[in-house]
Amino acid sequence: MDFGFSPEEEAFRAEVRAFIADHLPQRSGQDQMDAEEGMKNLPALYKWNQDLHAKRWVGFNWPREVGGGGGTISEQMILKEEMARVKAPMLGLSYMGLAWVGPALIKYGTPAQQERHIGPILRGEIQWCTGYSEPGAGSDLAALQCKAVRDGDDYVVNGQKIWTSLAMWAQWMILLVRTDPQAPKHLGITCLLVPMQTPGITVKPIKEMNGGAMFAEVFFEDVRVPAANRLGAEGQGWEVTKDALANERSSIADVWALKHRLEAIRDLARRCRRRGRPAIEDAAIRQRIARMETQVEAMRLNGLRFVTKQLRGEPLGAETSINKLIRARIEIESGRLARDIEGSFGALARKSPHAVDDGRWQKVMLSWPPFVIGGGTPNIQKNVIAERLLGLPHDG
Amino acid sequence: MDFGFTPEQDELRAQARRLLDHELPLDRILASSAAPPTLDRALWKRTAELGWAGLTIPEAHGGLGLCAVDLIVLLEEMGKTLCPLPLASTDLAVAALTALGDEAQRAEWLPRIASGDVVATVAILEASDVPAAEGIGARATARAGEVVLDGAKLFVPDGQHADLVLVAAREGAGVSLFAVPAAAPGVTATPLVVVDATKPAAEVRLAGAVLPERARLGSAGAAWPVLAHLLDRQAITHAAEMVGSADAALRLAVEYAKVRRQFGSPIGRFQGVKHRCAEMLCDIESARSLVYYAAWALDSAPEQVARYAAMAKALASEALDAAGEECVQIHGAIGYTWECHAHLFYKRGRQSYVWLGAPDEHYERVMGALEPRA
Repeated sequence: MDFGFSPEEEAFRAEVRAFIADHLPQRSGQDQMDAEEGMKNLPALYKWNQDLHAKRWVGFNWPREVGGGGGTISEQMILKEEMARVKAPMLGLSYMGLAWVGPALIKYGTPAQQERHIGPILRGEIQWCTGYSEPGAGSDLAALQCKAVRDGDDYVVNGQKIWTSLAMWAQWMILLVRTDPQAPKHLGITCLLVPMQTPGITVKPIKEMNGGAMFAEVFFEDVRVPAANRLGAEGQGWEVTKDALANERSSIADVWALKHRLEAIRDLARRCRRRGRPAIEDAAIRQRIARMETQVEAMRLNGLRFVTKQLRGEPLGAETSINKLIRARIEIESGRLARDIEGSFGALARKSPHAVDDGRWQKVMLSWPPFVIGGGTPNIQKNVIAERLLGLPHDG
Repeated sequence: MDFGFTPEQDELRAQARRLLDHELPLDRILASSAAPPTLDRALWKRTAELGWAGLTIPEAHGGLGLCAVDLIVLLEEMGKTLCPLPLASTDLAVAALTALGDEAQRAEWLPRIASGDVVATVAILEASDVPAAEGIGARATARAGEVVLDGAKLFVPDGQHADLVLVAAREGAGVSLFAVPAAAPGVTATPLVVVDATKPAAEVRLAGAVLPERARLGSAGAAWPVLAHLLDRQAITHAAEMVGSADAALRLAVEYAKVRRQFGSPIGRFQGVKHRCAEMLCDIESARSLVYYAAWALDSAPEQVARYAAMAKALASEALDAAGEECVQIHGAIGYTWECHAHLFYKRGRQSYVWLGAPDEHYERVMGALEPRA
C-alpha cells in the first residue's frame, strides 16, 4: 500500500494547480445539483473550456490520435481530484458527448464520423443528448421499441424517447432504435447519430418535482437519418452503448462534491438552533453527520481500491455499482439531514420569508432522483451486485 | 498510488487460509464452542513458528519485523473462520512493549512472545467502561524499589490464557503500564462468560500484587497517550477480524440462498433475499476499505489513526452485526439450530458491535475530531 505519487505525477499535480490559479473562472463553486444553473451560464464557461482544451485536459483519457489527452489513470485521478477540490466547473462542456458519445465513437466510429464529431465535442461546440430510455424501457433498456426502417440511404425513425437529459439544448442525439423486431432483444438494436433539427423531431420538456426541467420527452415521426450516421453495424447498437455505459467515470469527482456538501451541512448545523442550542451540539445530529462523513470516506477509499485494480491492469467489473449504491444513500440522506437540522424551518422553500439559505437545502432534497435513478436505480444496482459479484441467480 | 496488497501479502493470506481451513474449520470451532474457551497451545506454537506471533516484532527480537498491513491480512483471514487464537491481543502487547518498554524489557519479553512460549495481552478497560485516562481506577503504589498493584481490569482479551498481562494503572496524576506475569502472587484471571465463545475475555484482579520497579514500562504516569493509541490499534485489528467474519457470514448466506429452493426457485433469486445480500456486500466492502486504510495509517500516517480507527470500527461493527443477523434469517429455521454455523457469526457480530465501543461512540469521536462539543 502506498498513497504517494511519483515525482512525475506530483509535477503534473503542480501543473494542474498552477493552471487553476491562472484560469479558474470567478463564478464557480456551484453544487452539482445546480447543473441547470450551470447550463444557463454556458457562454461564460467557453473560455474555461478553451483553456482546458489547449492543455488537452478535455477528453483527457482519450487517445491523443483523436485529440484526447492520453492521460494515464493516475494523471486522470489527479486532474479530477484537483479540479473537484476547488469546485471547478466540469472538464468540458459537451457533457453527454464526453461521457458516452466520444468513447463510443472512438471504438466504433468510422474515420469520417470521428473527424466530424470528436473535435466539436472537445471544443464544447456541440451538446449531445442520449436517446436511450423509453416509456416501456427504463431499467429494462434492451426492451426499447422506437423503430427504424431502412429506406434507401436513410433510416426512417418512428417512436418516442423519454428522460432525455439536455434534449432542449442539444444539437445532436445518440439514439438507440430497433431495426430488427424479429431478432433477440439485445441483437435487434442499432445506434444512430441524429441532428436534433431533423424534421419530425419534437422535444417536450418534463417538469420535475423540484420545478426545474432538465429532461424531455422526444418524439420521432418519420424522421429520416442518413445510414452514414449509423454508429457501428446494424444490430450492434446494444454493444456500442453498453460499452460506453461501462466507461463509467470514476467516482472521484462525486466524492469531492459530497465532501463539499458535508462541509456545507456542518456549517448549516453551526448556524441552526435546536432547543435553543446550536444544532451541531445535538447528539442525534452529530451521529448523522459523522455517519455521512464515514460513508463519504468509505466511498473515497472504495474508489481508490477500484482504481488500484485498473492501475494493475485487472478488469474492473460490477464493483463500481457498490459506490453507486453508497452515493445514492448519501445523496438522499444529505437533503433529509439538512431538513432535520433546520427543524421547522425545514418546511420553507425557495423565496419563502424566513427560509434558511433561501431554500437551498429544500432544492437538494427535491433534486436527488435524477442522480440516483439515472444510469440504474438502486434496485438495479443491487441486482447487479447480487448477480455479478455474489453469483446469485438472475431475476425472472 | 497503490491501495492493494503485495504478492508477499497475498502469499501470507493464502498460507493463513490453508492452515486455518485445515486446522480450525468451522465445524471444529462449533464443536469447541459449547465449552469454556481453551487455548490450543500446540497450534499457537506452530503458527508462531510460521511467524504469526512475532509478525510485528522486530527481527532483532526474534520476529518478522512486518507491519500492521501484514497483520490485518492474517486477522481478516482469522475472522473468516472465527479463529480464537490470541493474535490480536498479542499484537497489542507487542505494540505496547515496543512503544513503552526499554531495551531490557523488550529483550526480556519479545523473543518469548515471538516463539509462542509467552501469550501476552493488554488490560486497559475497567468496570467504568470509559476508554479514557479518567476511566482507570486500578492503582499503582511505589515503595522502595517495588510497585504494588490493586484493582480490577475488565474485558481483558484472552486474559485467561495470557502468561503476561500489561496492566494500566493510575500512578500519581497519570497512568502507567506494568508488565505483570499472570503467575505473580495477587494476580487472578477469571474468565468472563461471553456471548461469543470464540472471543475469550477475562477479568484480571490485582490484590496487592507486588512487582519489581522494572515492571513499569516507560516513565511513571506517562503511559496514557500510548494507551490511547493502543485502543485505536485494537479497534483497527478487531475491525479487521470483523470484516473477515462479516464476509464469511455473507458467503455462508449466499451459498445457502443458491441451493435452498422454495416456490420452485432458489431463494437467492428473490429480491427480498438478493437485495439484502447486495447491501451487505456494499457495507462490508466499505468497512474493508476503511480497515485497510486505517492499518496503513498505523504504519505510515499516525496522525490519521484515531479518525480512521473510529470510522473502521463503526462500519465494521454495523456490517458484521447485520451480516450475522441476516445469515440466521436467510437460513430460515435451520439458521437457529446449533448445527448451523450461522449463530457463530451472529454471536461474533452481536458481541463485537459493543466490544471496544459501539458505533455511536465512534461516530461521536469522528465528529469530535472535527467539531468539539460545547
